[in-house]
Amino acid sequence: MSTHDDTVSLSLQDICKQFGPVKAVDGVNLDIRQDEFFALLGPSGSGKTTLLRIIAGLEHPTSGRVMVGGQDVTYMPPYHRRIGMVFQNFLLFPHKTVAENIVFPLRMQNIVKAQRDERLSWAIHLLRLEGLEARYPHELSGGQQQRVSLARGLISRPALLLLDEPLANLDRELRAEMEIEIRRYQKELKIPFIYVTHNQEEALTMSDRIAVMRNGVFEQVGHRTEVYQKPATAFVAGFVGQSNQMEGKVDKVNGSLLAFTWKGTKLVVPHAGDVKAGDPVRFMIKHEDVQVEIASRKAALPANHNRLPGKLRDIIFKGQTVNYLIDLEGGMEIVASGSPRDMKLTAGDLVFVFWPQEAGASFKL
Amino acid sequence: MKPDSTWRAFITPFVLLTGPGTIFISITLLLPLLTIVMFSFWRTESYELYADWNLDNYRVLFGEAAYRTFLFRSVVSGALTSLICLVLAWPVAYYIARHGGRYRLLLVLLLAAPFFTGVILRIAALQGILGPGGLINMTLGLAGFAPVKLLMYTPFAATIGHIYLYIPFMVTAIYLSLVNFDFALLDTAKINGAGPFRAFAEVTWPLNWIGTSIGTVLVFIPCLASTITPRFLGGPNATSFGMSLSQQFGETGTWALGSAMSVVMFIFSFLVIAIMSFTIDLRRSGFTGVGK
Repeated sequence: MSTHDDTVSLSLQDICKQFGPVKAVDGVNLDIRQDEFFALLGPSGSGKTTLLRIIAGLEHPTSGRVMVGGQDVTYMPPYHRRIGMVFQNFLLFPHKTVAENIVFPLRMQNIVKAQRDERLSWAIHLLRLEGLEARYPHELSGGQQQRVSLARGLISRPALLLLDEPLANLDRELRAEMEIEIRRYQKELKIPFIYVTHNQEEALTMSDRIAVMRNGVFEQVGHRTEVYQKPATAFVAGFVGQSNQMEGKVDKVNGSLLAFTWKGTKLVVPHAGDVKAGDPVRFMIKHEDVQVEIASRKAALPANHNRLPGKLRDIIFKGQTVNYLIDLEGGMEIVASGSPRDMKLTAGDLVFVFWPQEAGASFKL
Repeated sequence: MKPDSTWRAFITPFVLLTGPGTIFISITLLLPLLTIVMFSFWRTESYELYADWNLDNYRVLFGEAAYRTFLFRSVVSGALTSLICLVLAWPVAYYIARHGGRYRLLLVLLLAAPFFTGVILRIAALQGILGPGGLINMTLGLAGFAPVKLLMYTPFAATIGHIYLYIPFMVTAIYLSLVNFDFALLDTAKINGAGPFRAFAEVTWPLNWIGTSIGTVLVFIPCLASTITPRFLGGPNATSFGMSLSQQFGETGTWALGSAMSVVMFIFSFLVIAIMSFTIDLRRSGFTGVGK
């Protein structure tokens, strides 16, 4: 993380936005540093796009303040903010060529042609658009259109670049390539990027910090590994990464651990904070934190682990990883994932699933 | 490939789909037009047409000052009406397309409400407002003011009539263009530094120029041919090319001269359409899949 530079580039102070009876954004506070890649992650309808539009100046907040570079821009029209923006559906000007689209922000700032041309060739080179300058947007592929859109967003070296699901309309392969590219531009240019997405993989791949948003509020803001490994709420745990969910009752609080019964199975799981015996709790553990071992090697299982016997129903091969679907004795199902080289298991094997007692997280219901 | 596949794939559907329309247009438009062109080189005497080919009608048309004045007057009036309609219609169409919400269709249909009655009735009604005994001047008179002479049988009054008659075409053409316009492009322009005026000039106007030019043509051409409006509202100084033309086919019975006037009017209309289409660059219109 870029803690060495703590110049705050964007500051949101208690932002609320109400559409009729609906609170789209409900009291958001956020500071974004100068060279930070920040992801706003949330399901559709969580308010992340509204928040982005407020930052851009396309919407005014009902209350709260937006500060860019220390200046209050809450009611400044978008064309004075010097913010770049990239959209999901590209929104290139269909009647302008690639070059005309890219230099548009510079023309609006009345920058002289010599300087415009210089910046244009810089942007064309950065986004590898050589040879496409005279084309019209409809003559480009989706990936090329998105790169033109990025070039237009970056050419004036804005104070901030906002990206609203920019890769959602691209196919999978291209998306993976662009994720790396976009992160590279951000690191090279040292302009803060705010990246809105509902795709947790994208958020994890690209960003330094992530805010997980739901119903207009931030559920958690933190470094990407922190959000992944230490989810603050059950929603974050479910939304980021793939988790097994187990609901049950607390039997006993035991220091930093809880004794917990899940459909008749006794488990020991991390403390949920502020729970006592008898409280309903949801325990969540990521697929990759659950391990599988063949039943005959039961003796080799480590101590201080939860161990559950079951039968391997199916193996889902996903290339880099393998998902094991295991039917437990009580009729429940659990998913464990691992590297395909780890083990030679076959469907139908009797197995044990196990995980450390400190792994996963539990949440009071 | 079977030998008859071309027929099946292209020619049969072409004939079936476009045939009826083609026949109809040929009979009602092309044939009369050709007849008119032919008549324009003939001669009329005592209400009879004689087929001795000559250019006298055109000589009269371009030689006599009156006809040149009528033509000039009609062209200027058409251009002025188009321009005023354009300025008045844009904000209305823009408002309906952008803020009309679910009432958009209703609002556009309301624009067509005047068409529920005939042209003569509407112009007569307008006469009742603008004329000497009309609503405006009578009210002024009762209040002790002098009547506004400009409204009584002047070319200005005729122009008001034209605007009233043809503005729905302009609004509809612009509206139909704007409903297909992605207003998010305006947001994009603003984020990229364009103020409201520049955003309009850079994005909204060029991307709706086709609709606007269609509206302009739809207003200009009927104005050029207008007969009834200048007759009812325009007074002696508003005699238009169309009025004079209709006289040739009516009172004076000089069909050959009238035919020549029709040809001139047709050429002018065609010129306007040609000029407008020269201003349209399909690659820069926002239409996709063209100009590749």
